[in-house]
Amino acid sequence: MSSLTSSLSIASQALQAQELEIQVTNNNIANVNTAGYTRETVNLSEADPSQDGSVSVGNGVDIQGVQSVRDDLLTLRIQQQTSAQSSATAQVNALTQIESLFPTTGTSLSSTLSSFFSSVSALSADPSNTADRDTAIQNAQAVVGQFNSISSGLTGPSSALDTTVTTDVAQVNQLSSQAAGLNLELVQQQAAGQNTGTIGDQLSEVETQLANLTNIAVTHTSQGDSIVTGSGTPLVLGTQSYSLQTATGTDGHQHVLDSSGNDITSSITSGDLGGTLQVRDTQIPAILDSLDTLANQFATAFNAAQTQGYDQNGNAGTALFTIPSTVSGSAAGIALATTDPTAIAASSDGSSGSNGNVANLTAVQNATLASGSVTTQSANLVYQVGDLTSNATAQATAIGQSLTTLNNQQGSISGVSIDQESANLIQYQQAYEAAAKVVSTIQSLYETTINMIVTS
Amino acid sequence: MRFNPNINAAVINDIQQSEQNVQTAFQQVSSGQRVNSASDDPAAAAADTQLQAEAATVDQYSTNAESVLSQAQTADGTLTSVVSLLNQAITQGTEGANGTNSATDRDSLAEDVQGILSSVVGLANTTYQGVSLFGGTSNGTAAFVADPTSSTGYTYTGNSGINNISVGESLTVQANIPGSTLFTNPSANVLGALSGLVTALKTGTSADIGTATAAVTTALNYVSQQHTVYGNTINQLNSQETYLSQETVTLTSRESSLVGIDPATAAENLSQAETANSSVLAAAAKVIQTSLLNYLQ
Repeated sequence: MSSLTSSLSIASQALQAQELEIQVTNNNIANVNTAGYTRETVNLSEADPSQDGSVSVGNGVDIQGVQSVRDDLLTLRIQQQTSAQSSATAQVNALTQIESLFPTTGTSLSSTLSSFFSSVSALSADPSNTADRDTAIQNAQAVVGQFNSISSGLTGPSSALDTTVTTDVAQVNQLSSQAAGLNLELVQQQAAGQNTGTIGDQLSEVETQLANLTNIAVTHTSQGDSIVTGSGTPLVLGTQSYSLQTATGTDGHQHVLDSSGNDITSSITSGDLGGTLQVRDTQIPAILDSLDTLANQFATAFNAAQTQGYDQNGNAGTALFTIPSTVSGSAAGIALATTDPTAIAASSDGSSGSNGNVANLTAVQNATLASGSVTTQSANLVYQVGDLTSNATAQATAIGQSLTTLNNQQGSISGVSIDQESANLIQYQQAYEAAAKVVSTIQSLYETTINMIVTS
Repeated sequence: MRFNPNINAAVINDIQQSEQNVQTAFQQVSSGQRVNSASDDPAAAAADTQLQAEAATVDQYSTNAESVLSQAQTADGTLTSVVSLLNQAITQGTEGANGTNSATDRDSLAEDVQGILSSVVGLANTTYQGVSLFGGTSNGTAAFVADPTSSTGYTYTGNSGINNISVGESLTVQANIPGSTLFTNPSANVLGALSGLVTALKTGTSADIGTATAAVTTALNYVSQQHTVYGNTINQLNSQETYLSQETVTLTSRESSLVGIDPATAAENLSQAETANSSVLAAAAKVIQTSLLNYLQ
């Protein structure tokens, strides 16, 4: 049965709906620059019609609630790409430092090796020249210095990366517990039938930060978001968060353990943590291994050539370099056995003016050693380091571009547009004014009716 | 379709990208190098490392060649003097063999030849940078020392060692001829022949003097022959030096084509990058200056 009263209630409902629209618009505008904010819209629907005899009359508007406009699938893609980007960036940062150890111009390992062999070759013109011998020994010292400093330049970042692992894990734990707390709020708000948009935004922001640190997989459940890292190690399950730990492993580096103490280091493949571990556990050891091999094979071959000749005093040549017994650690451990310039075994017959063994000594430079000649190996090292750095850089750039696209896509769905909100505001203002007009019309109708009663 | 209303992030990304391009172009202009670190082009950087090592080796071959060359030239000059001294000795010998000479004449000729002998020994003791040129590899300062017990009056103190010097990938040249080969070779003993001539002039008959003079001639021929060894070495070194300097040019040009960038290209890249950068910045300045609000009054 339609009546003025029901019309008034429809009008007041309309006013409420427009007020809510204006409030949500206001909130959208207020958060236009808030990171991670997802624009909200009011969900309105027609109220069930009321039956007036054979006539069915609309019954105004129903407020269903406020909804955040977001695409979960896109969010997941963004989280994955964020992980990959952080990983690549971490690698670029670490590798750029390492790359500077292998400069393409100026003093480098390969230029020092060349200088050393040149100065040994210079002895062939005048094997007993003291100045030439001094130069050769100084250059040998420079070679040793290069091996030592590059080796420590490689192990230095390696221990700095350990610190990164520890701080990253601490951040992961903090974010996990935040996520668990947000899950609790989410569940409570859902139970109370409240708008979960804000909590959802915060949760998704925390998840993106987590993705920055490590590879995560997020599943939406009735208990909030479940977050796992690595190959299924839980970080957050419902309202419960699980802390990762770090411990020094047998290799002397920081390892990542799950809450039960299992080593999950190798399953962390992405994010800042993944990138850091990748550099620390794969890339640096590979470069160091090449460097150690070069140091070992160079020193062994040169020492062997030394023993084929005689030093300036006519004594049988002895090793010029001392190296550790194992290949590993050779670059760090290589040293000069003697700094006596007369020790260079230039002579082939014991006479001090003979240069017969110089050819054997210089032949080491281009002789085929087990892993290629000294020159080839040092060139390969440059390639190895350059390739790793340029790959990481290329990867970071490519992911950066795809991330920009994804973010654009997300912005086109979830971003607040001032223009749109302004236009909506006009629309809501007019709707509000119209509803208010209805109220005042009904009021005047009431007055007419009441006056009818009073005057009769 | 709705589009992303907040394009700031994308714009900033573009600006950064474009500024990095400017930086790269600028670095290429200022360094003249396309490859400034290994990651710019790993393969080229590695190849460049090898070229640098090769160039250093070539430089060293060049230095070696230069130092052997001056040593060989000194030895060559010395042997020229020895040859002319031996010719003098032969002249004296031939004159001494003439039967008309008195004993006094022969004695004075013997004195002359004795003088030639000491001059030859003096030449044989020539040093190069403080080390005897003809002392083999013994590294002494004098190859021959006076020794009254020896038939020639001198003893060789050097050894028979020979030094070969690498002046190319597979080219070595002999840097010295030991004094024992040059001056006291059993088959053509220079010092022996000269002291023989002295003895013959002092005490021998004309026939003895003739024989002794013939021995000096043999020695002369031998020394001349050895002289050409040095001549060949010098020629070889000269042509090798030319080759090495060409090789250096080749290596340098290979290096610059590998990692260098020509200034014109670099300058063009830079101006392109700068233009692109100004466009990006100008575009960014225009971004979202107005909104619907500007028109709603």
